[in-house]
Amino acid sequence: MDFFLQQLLNAVSLGGIYALLALGLAVVFSIVALINFAHGELMTVAGYVLFVCILYAVPLPIAVVAAIAAAAVAAAATERLAFRPMRRADPTSLMLTSFAVSAILKVLFQNGISARPKPVPLPPDLSGTLTFGPVRLGTVPLASILVTCLSLFALTLFLKRTVMGKAMRAAAEDFQVLRLMGIRANRVIAAAFALSGMLAGISAALWVAQRGSVDPLMGFVPVLKAFVASVIGGLGSLSGAVAGGFALGIAEVLFQAYLPDAALPFRDAFVLGFVVLLLLWRPDGLIPARTGRRS
Amino acid sequence: MLEIEGLSVRYGAVEAVGNLGFTVPKGSITVLLGANGAGKSSTLNAISGLAPSRGRIALNGAELGGLPPEEIVRRGVALCPEGRRVFPSLSVADNLHLGGAVHAKGEELARRTEAELDRFPILRERYHQKAGLLSGGEQQMLAVARALMSAPRLLLLDEPSLGLAPKVVEQVFGLISGLRTQGITILLVEQNAERALEIADHGYVLQSGALVLSGSGRELAESPLIRDAYLAG
Amino acid sequence: MTRTRRMLTLCTAMALCGWAAVGAAGAEEVTIGLATGQTGGLAPFDQPSLAGFRMAMDEINARGGLGGTYMVTLDIKDTRSDTGATVQAAQELVAAGVKFLITPCDADPSIAAGQISQAAQIPTMTFCGTTPTITDAVGDYMFGSYPADNGQATLLAQHAIAKGYKSAYILKSPDSAYTLRLPEYFAEVFQKLGGTVAGEGSYSLGQQDFAAEVTKIAALDPQPDVIMTAAYEPDFPAFLKALRGAGVTAPILGSDGIDSPTTTGLGDIANGIVHTTAGFPTDGSPLGEFYAKYEAVTGAAPETVYVATGYEIPYILDAAVTAAGTMDGPALRDALANLENVPVLTGSVTYKGTNRMPLRAITLVEIQGGARVPVETATPDPALVPAP
Repeated sequence: MDFFLQQLLNAVSLGGIYALLALGLAVVFSIVALINFAHGELMTVAGYVLFVCILYAVPLPIAVVAAIAAAAVAAAATERLAFRPMRRADPTSLMLTSFAVSAILKVLFQNGISARPKPVPLPPDLSGTLTFGPVRLGTVPLASILVTCLSLFALTLFLKRTVMGKAMRAAAEDFQVLRLMGIRANRVIAAAFALSGMLAGISAALWVAQRGSVDPLMGFVPVLKAFVASVIGGLGSLSGAVAGGFALGIAEVLFQAYLPDAALPFRDAFVLGFVVLLLLWRPDGLIPARTGRRS
Repeated sequence: MLEIEGLSVRYGAVEAVGNLGFTVPKGSITVLLGANGAGKSSTLNAISGLAPSRGRIALNGAELGGLPPEEIVRRGVALCPEGRRVFPSLSVADNLHLGGAVHAKGEELARRTEAELDRFPILRERYHQKAGLLSGGEQQMLAVARALMSAPRLLLLDEPSLGLAPKVVEQVFGLISGLRTQGITILLVEQNAERALEIADHGYVLQSGALVLSGSGRELAESPLIRDAYLAG
Repeated sequence: MTRTRRMLTLCTAMALCGWAAVGAAGAEEVTIGLATGQTGGLAPFDQPSLAGFRMAMDEINARGGLGGTYMVTLDIKDTRSDTGATVQAAQELVAAGVKFLITPCDADPSIAAGQISQAAQIPTMTFCGTTPTITDAVGDYMFGSYPADNGQATLLAQHAIAKGYKSAYILKSPDSAYTLRLPEYFAEVFQKLGGTVAGEGSYSLGQQDFAAEVTKIAALDPQPDVIMTAAYEPDFPAFLKALRGAGVTAPILGSDGIDSPTTTGLGDIANGIVHTTAGFPTDGSPLGEFYAKYEAVTGAAPETVYVATGYEIPYILDAAVTAAGTMDGPALRDALANLENVPVLTGSVTYKGTNRMPLRAITLVEIQGGARVPVETATPDPALVPAP
C-alpha cells in the first residue's frame, strides 16, 4: 500500500510536468492550428539562461524569472520571424516550419554555445527529501506538484478574468468573429506564443532541476511527451492537455512500477499501446476541443 | 453614408461578386436580396474586411478597402455575421465584454453593457450562462448586442432571422426598426424578403453576384420579379 | 679491404636512397577523410574529438607529416549524426581517394561507413565508439581507439570486488548498446569474481523520470551493496537525485559517460560516485600538460577528455605510418594491427593481439566535494575482459 501511495505521488509529480508541457502546445494550437515542435527549444533557451544566471551567482528566484521571461521572448520572436510570414499556410506547412525553427535553434546552440551539456548546479537545499508518513518526496518533485498547481490556477484566472485571456479562448472558437470585435489578431497570436513560452520556461526550470544540466538537444524528449499528452487529451483543448499530461504521467509511472522485470524494457511500447487504446476509445481525445470555426 | 463602386469578390477562380455598385444612405435600412449564392454575404464580408475584394468601399468618403476587420470595426462598421457565431464556451457576459473591449473601457464599457441588457432583458437573465446553452433566438439577440457594443454607425446584419421561430423573427425585425430610430444605419441581408421589405427604406436585388434590380422598399415589394421569385412561395 | 669497399658502396647507396626518399617525401600529399557528426546527437562527442584531432594533425604536418613523409589535408564532412548521411559521406570520401577514414563516436554509423572503406581497403577508425563489436562487425580495416565497454566494465567489477561489495543492482537501458551492454559486461565479470546481481532495472534514454524505478530499489530487502549503471546525462543526474531522494544510500559505480562537469555540479549527493574515464589530467602528467597546452592555444580548457582522445589518434596513426613506411591500405592496416605500447596522453595503446579494439589504460575516479579524485589507473586484464 505504501509502495502504491508512493508511486501515485510519483505519477502526479511527473504528470504535472507533462501537463504544463502539453498546455504550452495546446495554447498555440488552439489559436493558430500549429503544433509547435520548436516548443522544446524554447525550454532549451530557458535552460541556458538558468545556466548563465547560476554561473554568475544570480539568486535562484531571479534566475528562474529571467529564464521564464527569456522563453516567452523567444516564443514571441519565433512567432514574429518564422510563423507570422506563414500565417495563411496550411497546418502541414506550419508544422514543417516549426521543425525548421527547431533544427535551426539546435544548430545555433551546438555551434554558438557548445555541443556538450552545460551544468546547472542547484543549491544543495534543493536536493533534500521530505517525509510524509509512509511516503517520501524530494524537493524537486514536490516543487513540481506545487508549481503545476500554481501555474494551472494562474492560467485559469488569466483565461477567465482578463480581456486577453477571454480573447484567447474566443479565438480558439472563432478567430474571424473575434477580429470583427476589433481585437487585433496579431496581438492575440503574439500573446498566445508568449504564454506558451512562459509555460515552456516554467517546465524547463522543473526539467532542468531534475537533470542538472542543459544541452542543445534537451528539448526533444519533452516536446514528444507534450505532443503525446495533448493528443491523448484532445488537440487544442486546454483542459484536455492537462488531462492528457496526467494520464501519460500516471501510465508511465504505473507501467514502470508494476510491469514484470522481463517486460520492463518494453515499457514505452506498453505506454504507447495504452495511448492507442485511449484513442480508440475516444478518437478526439479525453476532452476534445470545441471549435466554432466555420467555412 | 456607405458607397460601393465596382466591387468584386473572388474566392480562387470563383467570382462571388462582380462589379457591384450601390449606396446605403445615412439613417436608413437598406436590404440586399437574392437567392442563395447571389453574393449577398460575400458583399457584407468584403465591407467588413473578412473577404478580399477589389473596388471602392467608402464610409463617409473614407476608403475602407484593404483594411483588416479589426480596423474597419474601429471606424464604426460592425458586422453581425450569418449563423450568429457567438463564442459558445464563453458566458453571455464575456461575449458582450469582448464585443466592447477595445472600444470602451471601465465605466463606459459598463454603461454600454447595461444599455444592451436593457434592450435585451433576456440576456440579463442569462448573463452568467455559457452562450452555447442559449436558444437560437437568444443567441441572435446576443450576437446583435455584441455587435452593438462597439457603438457602430453602420450595422451590417447577415440573415438575422435564419432558423428562428416565427414569433422570434417578429421580435428581430421589430428590433431592427428600433435601431434605425436610434440613428444607426443598417445594411441588412435577408432571405425573408417580405418582412425585410416592410421595414426597408431601400432595396437591391442581386443575382449571380451582380445587381439586377433596385428601388425603395415599397417599389420592390410590388415588383413582379420579386413577387415571383421571393414572395409567391 | 674488399669488405670495407663493399660496405662503403652499400652505405653510399643507402644514403642516396635515403636522400631520394626524403626528396620524394616533400611532394607526398595525402588526404584523410572525416565523416563525423558535427551537428545533431553525436556532436557532444564528435565535436571535441575533431578539435583534438585537428590540433594533433597540424602539429604533425608542421614537423614534416605522418611518418615524416606524408603531408595531410583533412576532408571534413558533417553527417548531422545521421547514419544515412554518414554512409553517403564515406562513399564520397572513398571516391575522392582518402588514405584513412574517421567515423563517428557511435557503433551504427561507424559500422555502416566502415563497410564501405573496408571494401576499398582503406584503414578506418571510430573517434570514440566504445562498442567492442564495431571492429569485428566490419572487418580487418576497422579500428577502435577509445577504451571499450567491456574493458571499462571489467575494471569497475574488479574495483567493486576489491571494495568488498557482494551484491550489485544494475540499471540499464535497451535504447543503446552502451547503456545496455556495459552493465551486462559488468555483471558478467562481477559474477565471475564471486559477486551476485541483486536486481536489474530498466529506463528509457532521455526519460529522466526515475521516481518509479527508485521506489522499487528502495523496496529491495536486503539493499544491494552497490548500484552500477552506464546511464549518462540527462538520465544519470535525474537517477541519482531520485535515488538519494528515496533514501537509498548504496554507493554508485558509473561509466565514462558521466565524465562531465554536470556530475560534479550535483553537490553532496554525488560524493562517493566512482566512474571510469579514458584519462584524468593531473599536474605534470602528459594529459595534464596537454590540457594546459590546449588552453594556451584555444583560450579554453577542454570541456571533455574526448578532446584528448581525438588528439591521440593522429599520433597512433603516425606510429603506424612510420612502421609501415607507406600509407597504402594493406600495409597500413598490418602496421596498425601490430602496434604495441604506443605512448599516448593517457598511457599507451596496444593493438597487437586484440580484435582491433585497443588495449589501453583506463582510469577510475571518485567524486568528492565537487571534484574528481583519481582512484587508480590500470589496463584491464585481458583474461577477465568478457568477449564482445
